[in-house]
Amino acid sequence: MSDQEKDPVVYSSLSKPLFISSVLLVLSMAWGLYDEMYATRPWKGYQARFEKFYSRYLKTAAGGEADVEKQIKAAPDYQRLNAAMMDAEKAAMPGATAIDKKINGDLVPKILALNDPFQEVRGHVGALTYEIEVTHSESSKDSLRKQIVELKAEKHDVSLPGEDQKRSMDFKAMGDLLQSMKDEKSKLLQQRVALMKTATELRAKRDQYLSDRIADASTSTIAAVQNSLSKFDIRIRQIHVKDVDLVDRCESCHLGTREPIVLTKAAMGGEAVFASHPNKEMLKIHDPEKFGCTPCHGGNGAALSSVEKSHGYNKFWLWPLHHKENIQAGCQQCHAREVVTEMADTLNQGREIFRLRGCMGCHRYEAFDREADEIANVNQQMRQLEQQKAEWKREIGFSEQKANNPRTSDTDAKVLFAHSNDLKVRSSGLDAKLEQFDMRSHSLVREVKKVGPSLKEARVKLKKEWIPEWLKDPHQWREGTKMPTFRLDPNEIRAISAFLWQAGVKADLPQQKPGDAARGKESFETRGCMACHSMGEGAAKQGGTFSANLSREGEKANYDYIVRWVHNPRQRSAPYCAFEKKDLTAEDYQRKALPYVFDLEHSKCPNDGHELQVQQMTPMPSLRLTEDEARDIASYLMTRKRDNATYANADYMDDPNLKNQGIALVRNYGCAGCHEIAGLEEEQRIGTELTKEGSKPTERLDFALLGHKAEAEDWYTHKGFFEHKLENPAVYDTGKEKAKQDRLKMPNFNLSKPEIDAVTTFLEGSVDAGVPARYFYNPTDQRQDIIDGWWVVRKYNCMGCHKVHVGQMTTFDTMTKYLDPDWKDQRPPTLIGEGARVNPEWLMRFLNNPALSETDTNRDGVRQYLKARMPTFSFSDGEIRKIVRFFEALSSQAQPFIAEKLDPLTDQERTMARQLFTSEGAPCLKCHMTGDVKHDSHATAPNFTVAKDRLKPGWTKRWMLDPALMSPGTAMPSGLFRHEPDRYVFTGPTPPSFNGYTKDHADLLVRYMFQFTPEELARLRSSAGAGN
Amino acid sequence: MTKIWMGAVLAGSLTLISCGGDKPPETAKTEATAPAGGAAAMPDEANGGTVTGKVAFAGEKPKMATLDMSANPACERAHKGSGQKSEEVVVNENGTLKYTFVWVKSGLPADKQWAVPTSTMSLDQNGCMYKPHMIGIMTGQNIEVKNSDPTNHNIHPMPTVNADWNESQSPGQAPMMKTFARQEVMIPVKCNVHPWMRSYIGVVGHPFFAVTGDDGTFTIKGLPPGTYVIQTWHEKYGPMEQTVTVGAKESKTVDFSYKG
Repeated sequence: MSDQEKDPVVYSSLSKPLFISSVLLVLSMAWGLYDEMYATRPWKGYQARFEKFYSRYLKTAAGGEADVEKQIKAAPDYQRLNAAMMDAEKAAMPGATAIDKKINGDLVPKILALNDPFQEVRGHVGALTYEIEVTHSESSKDSLRKQIVELKAEKHDVSLPGEDQKRSMDFKAMGDLLQSMKDEKSKLLQQRVALMKTATELRAKRDQYLSDRIADASTSTIAAVQNSLSKFDIRIRQIHVKDVDLVDRCESCHLGTREPIVLTKAAMGGEAVFASHPNKEMLKIHDPEKFGCTPCHGGNGAALSSVEKSHGYNKFWLWPLHHKENIQAGCQQCHAREVVTEMADTLNQGREIFRLRGCMGCHRYEAFDREADEIANVNQQMRQLEQQKAEWKREIGFSEQKANNPRTSDTDAKVLFAHSNDLKVRSSGLDAKLEQFDMRSHSLVREVKKVGPSLKEARVKLKKEWIPEWLKDPHQWREGTKMPTFRLDPNEIRAISAFLWQAGVKADLPQQKPGDAARGKESFETRGCMACHSMGEGAAKQGGTFSANLSREGEKANYDYIVRWVHNPRQRSAPYCAFEKKDLTAEDYQRKALPYVFDLEHSKCPNDGHELQVQQMTPMPSLRLTEDEARDIASYLMTRKRDNATYANADYMDDPNLKNQGIALVRNYGCAGCHEIAGLEEEQRIGTELTKEGSKPTERLDFALLGHKAEAEDWYTHKGFFEHKLENPAVYDTGKEKAKQDRLKMPNFNLSKPEIDAVTTFLEGSVDAGVPARYFYNPTDQRQDIIDGWWVVRKYNCMGCHKVHVGQMTTFDTMTKYLDPDWKDQRPPTLIGEGARVNPEWLMRFLNNPALSETDTNRDGVRQYLKARMPTFSFSDGEIRKIVRFFEALSSQAQPFIAEKLDPLTDQERTMARQLFTSEGAPCLKCHMTGDVKHDSHATAPNFTVAKDRLKPGWTKRWMLDPALMSPGTAMPSGLFRHEPDRYVFTGPTPPSFNGYTKDHADLLVRYMFQFTPEELARLRSSAGAGN
Repeated sequence: MTKIWMGAVLAGSLTLISCGGDKPPETAKTEATAPAGGAAAMPDEANGGTVTGKVAFAGEKPKMATLDMSANPACERAHKGSGQKSEEVVVNENGTLKYTFVWVKSGLPADKQWAVPTSTMSLDQNGCMYKPHMIGIMTGQNIEVKNSDPTNHNIHPMPTVNADWNESQSPGQAPMMKTFARQEVMIPVKCNVHPWMRSYIGVVGHPFFAVTGDDGTFTIKGLPPGTYVIQTWHEKYGPMEQTVTVGAKESKTVDFSYKG
């Protein structure tokens, strides 16, 4: 074989590999194209399908809507309106046509014909005038002026349409004629409008009738949408918010989100992705063009390559799309300082659980420690002010010293004296500020509450044997209790019980005589106790969830203590001095020769003058009951027990050796987070702060040995971590070898699935938000008062009794007893619109003292007839201020309040009003209280004697006209007045003195009511007595 | 991936639920107005089935309290001499129970529309009492509320599923016409001015109901053949139920008995 023959170039062929590679090349190009065009662009398919489904739906919708429209148009009312409109149009038509003819056939052509020559001359004059202005030489100015005069005098022959002869006119004549024709035209147009007025109004009325009755989109809207859909193109649809560099392309697939027509999954071929946003109101507040989608919903807004990626459900994406049950997590990041956010009920529930179930006892959460934070803040500000004051004082001294120095010139001395005077004045300003802070710091002591009851009172309150039984499993003993279940072994229970028992304050309570349990039951069920407390177990449970279920109270508590508690729950056995860090005893007072008296009037420490904790740290208010009634209720509660309940002897609880073990355990488990415990008043929280827990990197969440399992089961996320932890707080100890004291301490709250969802929502939203400040809800106007107010309203469970916002239920709405028509009227008043109703100064007084009396406190100042009674909460000044401002803000009332001036009554008007009030046709006095014991015993409506101090006149009138508008279901009837063209007139028969009276009757009654005095009401009662 | 799809489907169903929330009142509205059209049926009294019966009362006849109208002399004057007894429990001479509402609770074809009677039921306020104490009407049927007293009343029905209203009616004021759009057994009616006044209105979506009178009997005519649950309702003694099957032109008797 020659060398040449061996040469592969000659000898072998490359066609095979070349062929294979070119096939591969073609294939990879095809794949690349497919990938580019379709595989990484699934949204294209969505868009095509969207267009298909949408046009199909629009067609059917248009048909449906047209039917509805046809039906409405066939209705006699519509026909009548239409006929009236047609008639009016027909009647006006000849006149209108004549006007149109005159305008279009005569005036307009003439105006057009005259306009050209006139404008030509005017333009010329204008040009010359300009030249005059820019010319410097006087002579040329004069010559130009002359030219203008000539120009204006020059005659022009103008032929106007419809006129045979040409008119010869100078500039002024043309101008005048043009103006007169224009004037005539506008006059005629006005005439036409006047002529057509009735027809136009009727047409608007007819169209309004139609649009009022079509709930969904009208045919015209549908047509408009159809039109725009015909130009539908397949492209990426994105929201770009420039200043935050947010790109959200969600609407590339979720195309129906903001469509003007409501799209449902069913309407869009069963594809939920095309449904409209379910809450249009929400989108109005949070315009997607400004807020985007992902800041609220989570997900990866820029990703389009797959559903998984764009929803952020891939590994390492920290902000996945919130699941349906946690969707309100998105609200929390910007509404971080609120306890109630509108339209976010799940989130609100989560916050409520966090607060009320005591999560915040162990976990700090910014904004939830409102009182403690404020105390710290006030103290810091006070220190700063004191410092400032000291500095100024020094400076005043220096200035005056210098000014008094003979070597200082008179001028300088004057300046120095002036400066020192300025500082003195400003210093006294600081004194005023300090005084405010000082008052605030005192009242703040009152505002701090604990989630659980004070354990300092354990000895006086509880039956000894019950304590260890309770600690074993509180949920077992009392279903649904706030107290969570700790994983305690018998030794721990013994030690803790012993410590709590021995650390309790020793006090002798007065021995109470027994009360009447049957009467007590009646009181308990009607006074309002059940707005917070529940009674009965299982399906028989009635009442509120804010406080404890009392079905077994007789097993655990001492009668004497419960009497005191019911009578005044804030009463303590001993005051606590935070400065000395101890509970004061009678000896502390004796040493200063003071009686052992501590209450809100006697709240200073006898040893050092510091503000004492003189109240129990409970939100439970006083119902201002008599001691007898308190004994009745306590006696009833003592009957509430299981017959077979037995408790083992617990004498070991007096063993001093157990006490030390106990205190260590109590510390370890963080009991002092929720309870007041002697010696542990200053304990720090034992849990981790949760303010930003939702944005902690997933790998820093301690899944312990469950990490792999979580990944495999698809819950290696924040949501998964929280849910599992809440469901079983010990779950991350699974498989770990740990000493008892090192194990997870979080107790089990026995939360239901919806409760877990709510707390998870709250925590998932607790993030270090990456959005700029403008996203945060931090209003500087009245809305801030609403935010602040909600904290107080929730803290004291005002909503257990009162409707505060529309759509809310109170505990009374859930109780069987209050479904009865008679008991329905016994529900506490609704407070929707309270700010518009009452005078804020009165409201402050009322909140402070709901009896509206210093002496007669066993009553309700406004609604004596209600068995449920507005309790005395001993609000601090700060809380009262917040509540009042809250209600004022909810009703958008101007601050500060200035009372409306009413026209005085004439003598005749007074007589008329008196006669009307006492006539058979007017029911007012039959229901409303008037301050007379006998009369009021039948009364079922608020007290007239406080009306003028309590109410705002404008509200009173609106209320009288239609109370059902403000408070649906109210006992006050509608239809008392009927509307005449310019006033309201009493519907029933009016006394003869009303003949010829032309003013508003409702106004008259309001003006009269605002003059009510006890004497006037007595007078009304006596003259009404005969007839009513 | 599947998880996401499920999520999307869930989100969609959420949308559906929230959209659906508004629907019921709408259907109610059409119910109230639609029967004027041709589809509404009348009970066929000639060929339909009939259910009759009586509501007996067993046990000791409870003593009804005399109403205390002393707070309102105008009312007291209307009952000069003999005080008005409460009408909560009225046992007839023949031992039957008056003012018991009887209706067909279930068993009728669901999609059938029944014609609303053009007759008007009257509810009079006379002697500070509602007359009658109990009435039955069909959804959409007119009630004429009158005030025959020389004093002011307010009429306050307390429905749970119907729209709530409370209107004042002065002496001599023209009667007012009212309807209820939704089925509700029963709606208590009270007067806040005269708290003892009480009436009950049974609103039913079909014409098969009755109120027992002085003889304690009831008759429901014109039922299409079928099996029905007949319910009675008494304000003090509550509801009772029995099932009955009637054929065309057949008459069945269903008796009830309440214990005092």
